[in-house]
Amino acid sequence: MFGYLVGRLSQAVVVVFVMSIIVFVGVYAIGNPIDVMIDPGATAEIRENLIRQYGLDQPLWQQYFTFVGNVFQGDLGKSMVYNISVTSLVFSRLPATIELVLVSVTIAAVIGIPAGLYAGYRPNSIGAKLIMALSVLGFSVPTFWIGMLLIMAFAVELGWLPSGGRGPVADFLWFKTSLATAEGWSHVIMPAINLSLFKMGLLIRLTRAGMVEAMGAEYVRFARAQGLPDRQIVFSHILRNISIPVVTVFGLELGSTLAFAVVTETVFNWPGVGKLIIDSILQLDRPVMVSYLVMVVILFVFINLTVDLIYARLDPRVRLKGGS
Amino acid sequence: MMLNTLKSGLAALALVVVAPSAMAADLTIGLRAGPDSIDPHWSTLGSQAESLRHVFDTLVDVDETLQLKPGLAVSWEAIDDTTWEFKMREGVKFHDGTDFTAEDAKFSIERIPEVTGPMPMTLYTKYVDSVEVVDDYTLRVKTKGMAPSLPNDFTRLFVVPSETGMEARNEEFNSGEKAIGTGPFTFVSWEPKGDLVLEKFDGYWGDAPVWDKVTRREIPDDAARVAALKSGQVDMINYVPATDYLSMKNDSSIDTFVSDSVYILNIAPSVKDEEPQPIKVNGKEVDGNPLQDVRVRKALDLAINRDVLVSIVLEGLGTPANQLMPEGFFGYSSELPAPAYDIEQAKALLTEAGYPDGFEIDFTCTNNRVPGDAVVCEALAQMWSRAGLKVNAQALNGTVYFPAAAREEYTMTMSAWGTLTGEAAYTYGALVHTKDPEKGFGNFNRSGYSNPDFDRVFGEGAQTLDPEARRKLYEEASFIAMEDRALIPTVILQSVSAAKAGKLNFVPRIDQETRAYAITPK
Repeated sequence: MFGYLVGRLSQAVVVVFVMSIIVFVGVYAIGNPIDVMIDPGATAEIRENLIRQYGLDQPLWQQYFTFVGNVFQGDLGKSMVYNISVTSLVFSRLPATIELVLVSVTIAAVIGIPAGLYAGYRPNSIGAKLIMALSVLGFSVPTFWIGMLLIMAFAVELGWLPSGGRGPVADFLWFKTSLATAEGWSHVIMPAINLSLFKMGLLIRLTRAGMVEAMGAEYVRFARAQGLPDRQIVFSHILRNISIPVVTVFGLELGSTLAFAVVTETVFNWPGVGKLIIDSILQLDRPVMVSYLVMVVILFVFINLTVDLIYARLDPRVRLKGGS
Repeated sequence: MMLNTLKSGLAALALVVVAPSAMAADLTIGLRAGPDSIDPHWSTLGSQAESLRHVFDTLVDVDETLQLKPGLAVSWEAIDDTTWEFKMREGVKFHDGTDFTAEDAKFSIERIPEVTGPMPMTLYTKYVDSVEVVDDYTLRVKTKGMAPSLPNDFTRLFVVPSETGMEARNEEFNSGEKAIGTGPFTFVSWEPKGDLVLEKFDGYWGDAPVWDKVTRREIPDDAARVAALKSGQVDMINYVPATDYLSMKNDSSIDTFVSDSVYILNIAPSVKDEEPQPIKVNGKEVDGNPLQDVRVRKALDLAINRDVLVSIVLEGLGTPANQLMPEGFFGYSSELPAPAYDIEQAKALLTEAGYPDGFEIDFTCTNNRVPGDAVVCEALAQMWSRAGLKVNAQALNGTVYFPAAAREEYTMTMSAWGTLTGEAAYTYGALVHTKDPEKGFGNFNRSGYSNPDFDRVFGEGAQTLDPEARRKLYEEASFIAMEDRALIPTVILQSVSAAKAGKLNFVPRIDQETRAYAITPK
């Protein structure tokens, strides 16, 4: 178990290194961030001074090692655009994204898994066919389009919900969240549903496929023959058996939504990290890009690790061995 | 782009239900961009100055058409060739109750080089040699050489109290600790890309603002901003996209405000001996650079139908331009003829120049930097093809375009330029003057244009303190540059703000700033 964790973490370190090099080389290839940011009226002298001040006149490898050296001292750098530390910048936006993503994956799981189970349990019923048709819509219609339709319907036409933004935040336990107030929920519900549709479609299809397969499996027939009630067969035998692919996809989706919820965040003007990273890319704000992507890699590694631990819990045959 | 078009198209479809508005004395504005920091000396970004103007005052202010008017300084004059004297306004208080004096202005000028970032405010203090406080209400600025435009530069000189201290950085301003100015509103809260919340300052020296609380909400997405207005989340928005403007014009529940902007889309043909991307005739690279021939540049100009650009391509949101600045700006030449469209003459000029069958040329533009840049780019390529040219038009994101343009890799470009200071020296010094790092001129002259006549007239203007004599010289410089087609201006862009019908009075400004204290309820 311990060897397994060490192996996983050292993998993460390698990925983080490779990724930071890619970002550095990429930004270097595009050009000088100063040329993107600088005011048109600046003189050549001002420009030269700035390039020197930000160390952009040094060779690439030297810039990179300066950055790595600072990271080892716990300093991810300061944003060139905001001049505040990257960590505080990202963490000022992260709670909003986490909140949105948690609500949306909860909606996706609470609706998607039971719907998938039902569709697999009674594959020929009208309800099952309806669920399957809607699930196709869920991941084939573009997110921004559904987002705009939701806004048009519920914010502009009906006026029930606000068209965007995050609601007032209140203290809940030890952190600030907009989920602690009714108004906060009115802001989060529409973007969360929008964000959940794709995942919901995916979960429905995965669960249904597993369910259909399991219904024909020998252990199910055997359980039936034993006279076990269907409820018990579905929830304690089948569900446990089909959970592994569902948990895998769920984990991957959770990670990618946390990191790249940008389309929904843009349409609903949600103050999350997705918008921050896109703006940083457009302005070539290198410290923010590198640090954010490093955090994303760590996040993915952490989620995958959790998923693996859940596997072991679900299926005793899975053994966590060192380095695997 | 496609995504944006779809979204705004959809937004335009919507009908409107009037939602209950906020309390009468509160104002919420949805803006495309906000500040990058609350430190007024951090960045020259336009939306930064626009936002922080509510909290901090500048020494010199500008009116709706960018002409100078008193701010914290009530008057200014050049007392000799290298000294400007500013008289400070008396009885002005900072938000913390301390009095404003010339010492604060001096501190603010000296603070800028210490704290400014990659969009440096040193731009506005580059002529300052030293600052002397004569008495509490008199400030003398010694300049490096003659600096006729110093009062223009000081329209962006925000004043912070001298007690701020040189150590304070962005964090202290963002938290509100140091966000103390003399402006009409006090700072309440802000976070990057979020809401800037302001409260009325009762001790303001000017007319007291009518709003008790102002929220400046950043909504960068065009469709989301329009939806926020239509759903009643905000009272007013800026930068309405052209597609939505058409539907809003016919919508009785929404008022629109259209104004000219300072931004003009200019074409910059490279006139270097060897053009960066080859110009070809029948697939073969031509000898020399055809763009060096003024007849070719005139032909390019004559082949542009600006009326079509405005009425069809820009949905009416533009004005044909015949020079680099809008009318009324300091140095605008009224001698120049209105832009002409004459495809036959364009062809004749090309034939005369030795290109009867035209040539093939690359044309690179910015994309989505200002409204309409990419569509104008494509339209121009089509217009030139009628004159017999083969134009490979390409609109690129600013992240790619600007660094490559700075490396001078393009043969012909189009981008927007705004004469933000309202006077010619800013634009001509950067764009048209021969590149000369020593003098600090021509930093954005990427076409290699160099005309000794222009440089002489412009240089003389830059050394003339008398405003009327200087205006004449700049007008002459405008004439020389445009006759020579140093750059080819196409259209002045217009911008649109919108508010719920019958709620607000608002006079749009040519610099596009949405100042909350200039908005009043109806």
